[in-house]
Amino acid sequence: MSDTETFDILEQRKAYNATLTQAADKTRATWFPVVVLLLLLAMPALQFVGNYNYLLHLLLFTLSYVVIASGWNILGGFAGYISLGHNVFFAVGGYFAGMMFARLGISTLILAPLAGLVAGLLGYLIGLITLRVRGPSFIISSLALVMIFRIFFENWEFVGGAAGVSLKANDLTVQWAKLPYYYGFLVMAAFTVWVSYRIKHSKFGLGLRAISKDEIKAESAGIDTRFYKVLAFAISAFFVGMAGAVWGEYLTYIRPNIFLTVLISVNMVLICILGGKGTIAGPVIGAILIVAFNEFFVATLGASEINILATGLIMMICLMFFPLGIVGTLAKHRKLPRFLDWD
Amino acid sequence: MLEIRNLCKHFGGIKAVDQCSFSVEQGSITALIGPNGAGKTTAFNCISRTMTPTTGEVWLDGERIDGLRPHKITGLGLSRTFQISRNLADMTVLENIICQSKISGWRDMFKPAMSADEIEKAMGILEFLGITRLAHEDGGNLSYGQKKLMDLAALLMSDPKIILLDEPAGGVNPTLLEEIIGHIRKLNEQGLTVLIVEHNMDLIMRLSHRVVVMAQGQVIADGTPDEVREDPAVLEAYLGGTMEAA
Repeated sequence: MSDTETFDILEQRKAYNATLTQAADKTRATWFPVVVLLLLLAMPALQFVGNYNYLLHLLLFTLSYVVIASGWNILGGFAGYISLGHNVFFAVGGYFAGMMFARLGISTLILAPLAGLVAGLLGYLIGLITLRVRGPSFIISSLALVMIFRIFFENWEFVGGAAGVSLKANDLTVQWAKLPYYYGFLVMAAFTVWVSYRIKHSKFGLGLRAISKDEIKAESAGIDTRFYKVLAFAISAFFVGMAGAVWGEYLTYIRPNIFLTVLISVNMVLICILGGKGTIAGPVIGAILIVAFNEFFVATLGASEINILATGLIMMICLMFFPLGIVGTLAKHRKLPRFLDWD
Repeated sequence: MLEIRNLCKHFGGIKAVDQCSFSVEQGSITALIGPNGAGKTTAFNCISRTMTPTTGEVWLDGERIDGLRPHKITGLGLSRTFQISRNLADMTVLENIICQSKISGWRDMFKPAMSADEIEKAMGILEFLGITRLAHEDGGNLSYGQKKLMDLAALLMSDPKIILLDEPAGGVNPTLLEEIIGHIRKLNEQGLTVLIVEHNMDLIMRLSHRVVVMAQGQVIADGTPDEVREDPAVLEAYLGGTMEAA
């Protein structure tokens, strides 16, 4: 009897080893993100041969979306808490760094990590309160947050109220003026994606995934769910706040209506849903697609509301065929090209 | 080892668990039985703190645990399964199990999700339960019985001192039931204390050392399976007068 048992176990071992070799075969295409990063680093050299300011602006815009969407993804994608109020942290980061820049003249590029920490701390405190509920209640609480902060910033005279504060543009020539911000966002985007990767592959990330599937089970499995999700909230607020800090100086003004509009908070969610919530490459792919769609329709349909409609339509069609987002759906059907498998 | 003193859980005017007291001896298999609606699962939930008890105390190894949060209780060595198997879809069985391995503090949180040691341990547990081949299967794709086994595997990952099994035989086919009974017995022989809520009398009578019978939120009998079987109060509670399948 015990002989058959050992035999069974040996059979199972064999089967398991077969799956292991299969898994080991899936070598990572690390070269791809590295090449993309190098290309982006070299991109401003185009300015030597002509005026590519608009291209650089689009890349910078995309990179900023990568930062905020990847940041949002840590809470919304990994932990499954959909926040429609993350632009609050975008605003807090922007205002903190913007005011310091206006008063003390310290560049927001240097202040960005500090602004991120301020946003992260605020996120931690807000998370302690709002993360007690989940599902629709949490989404509504996040929307309420935007309204509260909008009213707050519009009436706070010190930061200029609804009119905001204008910030000094840098002294570089038009040709090179975008460069510091471009590199700033590039570094932040790379850092955010790297941190997302590290989180996803840590015990913390595994715990967040468990929370997103079944919070009661996760808690009884020994995971401190409250601390995990509040920490995820804080980390995601950190990245969004960091992006906000540089965004203000790039636009040369800070004003409630550039940070605290529905469009920005919805865009981070749409980017993640389009690219693949909870994946590493998802927010990057989503950001590229959203900016590309937008540009394409602005170019063909003009800067009216029709282009927003067209972008929305394309997104709906995408989600009909890729319900889990592009990266998520392809991965599920094991059709994800290896160079996009960053998970 | 586990002691429940005057546990009460009220839902509005309904007393789901009313002044319930019993204890679980170290190294024993104790069963909690009773007709539907007796408050067994509610008592279970209060012990593992999935629900907050209205009043009463729960002691584990001389430490009062009824005020702690569930993950702390798991950390102290009390793990539970759920009646309707709760598992994490979109995560492999291996990930499901390793989720349950012990984490203490900041440092552990940022360690790799699955270390080689943990994988080895999880595979050992899967081997013990005879479901190694499922290791890389999506947790959501398992059959009902396989989920029950996975729950048991995940439980063992946290090195518990006492395990609470909520209807481990519910909806499981007879062959697998035999398997599960065998596993529980083996684990108990290795020194693990077990508390089971179960409807299957066959399993209870064969497996348990002690039976606690609940009805209408109260403990009405407490003793060996044979004693309980003859207890008039128990026969009364089960209405039939005799216990079927016993």
